[in-house]
Amino acid sequence: MRFIIALLAFANSAYAHEMTPTYFDIKPSFVDGISVIEMSFWNRRQDVTYYEIDVFDSEWNSISFAASNKLLYVEYLNKKNFDIYVKDNDKDDIYYICTVSKILKSSQTSTGIASRICSKVNEDD
Amino acid sequence: MLKTTLTIAAMTLATTVSAADTPISGTVESKCSIFTDIQGVYGNPNPYELSTTPADGGKQPIIRYDVASADFYTAKISYPTSFSSSPSLSDTVTWTGDVEVSSVSDTNMSGYEAAKVQYDNVTEFDLTIAGTTWFKITSNAQYGYQKSFPAGNYTAIVTAECIAN
Repeated sequence: MRFIIALLAFANSAYAHEMTPTYFDIKPSFVDGISVIEMSFWNRRQDVTYYEIDVFDSEWNSISFAASNKLLYVEYLNKKNFDIYVKDNDKDDIYYICTVSKILKSSQTSTGIASRICSKVNEDD
Repeated sequence: MLKTTLTIAAMTLATTVSAADTPISGTVESKCSIFTDIQGVYGNPNPYELSTTPADGGKQPIIRYDVASADFYTAKISYPTSFSSSPSLSDTVTWTGDVEVSSVSDTNMSGYEAAKVQYDNVTEFDLTIAGTTWFKITSNAQYGYQKSFPAGNYTAIVTAECIAN
């Protein structure tokens, strides 16, 4: 029995995932007791259109947050600005904001690389 | 006459507009981009083994990292330790793998391979130089004690992370 199985498809194609800023600032929002973080996302992965947002402390424990969508839908070659809202009580704990590519089960044979980019809080402030 | 005057006026205006200075401005932010340059393929050199090694008929995935500024990011790459989809498997699968620097855009990056940190299925590289680095991933899966993999499609996921320092 000899067969070759595709682990990850679309050979020889280059797709990318980017998120800025590298070091984010936490600002007061228009609601008392809530702070906001403004992020920007750029999808150059043709094979992925959904990205999940995660917020962590310095020990990589999840921190609760609100966003218009925790699962970003970003078309190929599109940019999306998104805001993350956190309670003021939690803002000193926030350390990383990450976006991770979500691969649809239906396209699993054609995608096999999960990309994750994490920005860090601006500690100079 | 009025028509001619209007036409000349319109042409003058058009010329003026096209001759105006149009500045293009932009900023370069420190950022990390992860590119999936080559997606891998498992070869099946033995009935019980799947491997991305070219000698085994496989193809190694290659991931490219671009960093715009030095020392802002750490690359963390994990080779698979499970299938994301496969036929039903009744025995255990033993996973091994490796991540190595495949190519670099700056000769100063030649120390990345020696300085890499490995634990579990994760390999970390401190991206201390601005530019592009390509990483090559090897993945090997062996089923039971030399037990044949059931026929079907197998997929596994390599995770590439870029974490701000």
